Amino acid sequence: MSNINGKVYAMNAITPMKPWKTWIVRGILFLLGHFKSLRQDVVDLSFIEFARWVVLPRRGFPFLGNGQERENLQYDYLLFFSNFNGTWNQYIDAFSAVLSKGLNLIWRWSEKFPGSVPVTNFKQYIALLQFDTDYYYSAYPNAAANDIESAHIVQSSLDQLAAMAERSSPQQFADAYLRFVLEVQCHLGATGDAPVAG
Amino acid sequence: MPNKNGSVYGLTILSPIINDDKATPSHDLQIRDYLAKLSTREDSPFAVAPGTHLARLVVLDDVIYVGMPACEEHLKSKYLIFESNCDGDLDGYLHGLADAIADHLDAIWKHCVGYPGAANRQAFVDYMKACQLNTTFYFAAVNDKSVEDTLRALQTQTAVADFIATHQGNDPATLQREFIQFATELRARPIPRPGSMGSLRDIKTGGHNE
Repeated sequence: MSNINGKVYAMNAITPMKPWKTWIVRGILFLLGHFKSLRQDVVDLSFIEFARWVVLPRRGFPFLGNGQERENLQYDYLLFFSNFNGTWNQYIDAFSAVLSKGLNLIWRWSEKFPGSVPVTNFKQYIALLQFDTDYYYSAYPNAAANDIESAHIVQSSLDQLAAMAERSSPQQFADAYLRFVLEVQCHLGATGDAPVAG
Repeated sequence: MPNKNGSVYGLTILSPIINDDKATPSHDLQIRDYLAKLSTREDSPFAVAPGTHLARLVVLDDVIYVGMPACEEHLKSKYLIFESNCDGDLDGYLHGLADAIADHLDAIWKHCVGYPGAANRQAFVDYMKACQLNTTFYFAAVNDKSVEDTLRALQTQTAVADFIATHQGNDPATLQREFIQFATELRARPIPRPGSMGSLRDIKTGGHNE
């Protein structure tokens, strides 16, 4: 079992919801998906590589016959999967501090959700609902979300410079190279092991 | 469609695990045992098969009881969750998995109810789709780049930093000549293998401060 691979942490959580509340959550997540401004805080936090919420209705568990018993549940369930950089404590702290309104909007419909502030109760709730990852793979384990975004900026700038390098004079190239360095200087740096948190 | 964000597909599969009292060890434990021994680096099945950014396999033992006044309820089956963030369309991705890592898929999913095996491609794809859950909201920080694009970009990022550091103060003609050579060599350099860009570390449990 490992929730961590390189710089990425895999979180899984499942919360029960009364079925009538599911539709409210679906509506909120629909709005979140369609209005970029509503998810700007998540983008700004910039330590989440991928994340998803899945509403799983009580009669929506896959049933394949072949001797499988059909589920008989009272609650719908909200599944949350996140791939984030940093430690569990840093992640929940940041969520609680920056996204408390958004989190409350999504999770307040789950049974016994205590609110994302104060953070102590919120952490206890998440720890109760979390289940561990058995196998976790990343194609680029030692790169954080910021590394990836920066790497693509460097690649794009390099491609532009390379395209003009052969058809410009040395002085024109030197000027363009200087602009290139200014453009990418904040996006350089090596990837590697994550720092050890105390 | 919520399963997609840009060009990235968020695949969520929930496969019921065979519940057989006579199986020793139980099927869920056999899955966990197999996964515990599976490489997470460049020889990972998901590095061998094309198109996976990040993926996880998780055995869901049961739903979680949050305490009174909520009702306590339990699942009748355990489920294998496969969560993948992958390139392209679903059919192409599933066919790619079946083509490249059929043995691993069979070794894991043979413990699941109704699994037909990866040898029968269409039955395999149909089975996976029967177990698929639709994502309600899907977030991808970078949603327009393939796995290869990202691996190449990370390689470029390191190489550019080295180039800049070692070419400070060059005259324009030398700088231009060496840059052209650098860019040509970088283009020709093979893309790092997925899962390879990391040093070996002990398995971490994911404690709250790790």
